[in-house]
Amino acid sequence: MPKNVFDVCIVGSGAGGGTLAAHLAQSGVKVAVVEGGPPVNTRTDFNTHALPFDFTNRHIPTMKPGKPGFGSERARGVGGKTMLWNAVALRLSHRDFKGYTIDGAGADWPIDYPDMAPYYDRIEREVGVCGNRDGLEDLPDGIYLEPAPLKLGDLLLQRGGKELGIPIIHTRKATLTRATQTRPACHYCGNCMAGCDVAAKYNSADVHLAPAMKTGRLAIFSNSVVREVVVSKENRATGVRYLHRVTGKEGEIHARCVAVACACVQSVGLLLMSESRLYPQGLANSSGQLGRNFIPHFNSGVEGFLTEMIGRPVVNDEGFIDHAYLPSYMHAQKRDYARSFGVQIYTGIRRTTGWAREVPGFGAAYKQSVKQRFPAYVSFQCFGEMIPNQQSFIQLDKTQKDEYGLYPVKATAVQQENEGKIYEAMTKASVDILQRAGGEVLTVSNFQEPTFNHQLGGCRMGSDARTSVVDAFCRSHDVPNLYVVDGSVFPSSSEKNPTLTIMALAARTADHISDRFRKGEIA
Amino acid sequence: MTSRREALKIIGAVGVTCAFPFSANELYGQHVHPPGHGAPQEAQPGVPFAPRFFTQMQMPVIARLTDLIIPATDTPGAAAAGVPEYIDLVVNEDPKLQTIFREGLPGLDKTSESRFATSTFLQLTEAQQVEILTSLSESAAAGDAAFFNAIKSLTADGYYTSRIGLLQELGYNGDAYLAAFPASSIPEH
Repeated sequence: MPKNVFDVCIVGSGAGGGTLAAHLAQSGVKVAVVEGGPPVNTRTDFNTHALPFDFTNRHIPTMKPGKPGFGSERARGVGGKTMLWNAVALRLSHRDFKGYTIDGAGADWPIDYPDMAPYYDRIEREVGVCGNRDGLEDLPDGIYLEPAPLKLGDLLLQRGGKELGIPIIHTRKATLTRATQTRPACHYCGNCMAGCDVAAKYNSADVHLAPAMKTGRLAIFSNSVVREVVVSKENRATGVRYLHRVTGKEGEIHARCVAVACACVQSVGLLLMSESRLYPQGLANSSGQLGRNFIPHFNSGVEGFLTEMIGRPVVNDEGFIDHAYLPSYMHAQKRDYARSFGVQIYTGIRRTTGWAREVPGFGAAYKQSVKQRFPAYVSFQCFGEMIPNQQSFIQLDKTQKDEYGLYPVKATAVQQENEGKIYEAMTKASVDILQRAGGEVLTVSNFQEPTFNHQLGGCRMGSDARTSVVDAFCRSHDVPNLYVVDGSVFPSSSEKNPTLTIMALAARTADHISDRFRKGEIA
Repeated sequence: MTSRREALKIIGAVGVTCAFPFSANELYGQHVHPPGHGAPQEAQPGVPFAPRFFTQMQMPVIARLTDLIIPATDTPGAAAAGVPEYIDLVVNEDPKLQTIFREGLPGLDKTSESRFATSTFLQLTEAQQVEILTSLSESAAAGDAAFFNAIKSLTADGYYTSRIGLLQELGYNGDAYLAAFPASSIPEH
């Protein structure tokens, strides 16, 4: 055996990889995290407080001048997408895990809510999630810090929704509304997605990886773009081969177990690139299912203005961006589609001024109209669950190579009939609420120009090795010491933001892996 | 009307919210990437602006158009907020917009000639200029509509992301720290 062999090598350092690494290291397992991007310091490296006019093109770059990071999907930075996420942290419900059983579409998860509940508890305690306990069937309550108050616009919309029988609740976010011993409370500057410079918002680098370093059992290999997971003749994963992002030098890390956690599309890409004699169609792909069942969320959007707020004085209420959420409520209603949708509600958003081009007219009257509507702007961002279909998949683009000499990964998502019906329903619900709350609609998005968010699927979790890629513990059906721990394993996506579930899955997988080490099942 | 998708892209470029369906990379990494990316915008006093796309003759026309769309009122208008320079930067990077302006700008002078027997748009009275802009905005002809939408959208984008537009005109006051988020209340209906 080579001299330096880790127990577990984890590719990726975001919500999945970071949580998995921390939990394993805390339990006594020796871990290597391999991240394509550089180390980034959330306190100093991001353009957290920049404004558009600080830049000639009004485009605020992610990183401060001279700070490397987030240059490509293959090489973001230590902490991955959690450095820039919006922190919405929702639990999936029984309906989300067993959607196929309930409405006959898509696929069930091989696990159910009771399997995940203890891990949701653990993650919420660990990272800090604020929210209100609403007692909803479709959105299980968790262990919460007090919610951030709803904004004035949220309350007006909530009242409109109530009149229509549509619930609007406090959003739930992995952002601290109360200081902990190590992290301050949110100061409501409104820059969450530009990188929270005090780490009041969860990111895996500060909340999971940094404390795990203190165990002495975690090593982070940054700037290391993994090109291949290596599998022995005996069908065991033995480590990874990587290219150094800056020097271009090749390297190899040896481990007794490998976990791929580089965010859905890139994880599928890495497995597809890891072809071998044993796995000519890509690693862990004896089923031919790798890359199939790609089910990102699809979005619609409605923008408008709350009449009651037009012309009011501008107040500083950007808060931590969206404070209100419309949870799935469709299951109690008669409807002609499978699954559901949820809506993130944005009021008091002051830096987004792109809507001004849609306000009619020009001249002094136009200028006045925009100014009066500035405090009243409202945006609904709707998220629908997609049912897997044959046209939606992830594959390598073998016609070209990227800056690392690797095939780019290409994801294709096509909406079908059920998506169309959800799209219509979620868009209509948003328009109805806005109008009932006394508002004017500015723009409504168009189904023919689809937008997607939250990459999910591609390494479906299931109990049948012929129709899925990993088992209920995120372990490859093909290779017994290979795991995939990110959004790619979701068999059904739910309409809910996936990150909390990815973290809970990672914690559950960590328990499973350390248990196998204890039992001597991993050599 | 700009398609929503286009609008969202612009919002992504000029806003900083997560409200829109882009991954962080897309949100921060698309739409316009002119050179000088990352450099502060502050104009250098005394140094004349050297346009990248438009000619020195065309810049006053662009400035006039932006001021017709967002005029000076109790706050400065678009030209004073540096919008013409912003538009030059964006159009220089966008071949589609270039085509629209190549056709649209000479069209202004032609209309000035045919409608008011005046050889250039800049020589018209303000009322005449407004009349031309109004008919462009109401025109059923694709070229006219595209030209009006382009100049209006770029003016709105540039103005409301400028220091003058965002801070002075709109009164943006966020990005300040709050010790606690203030609770609001409304009466029940």
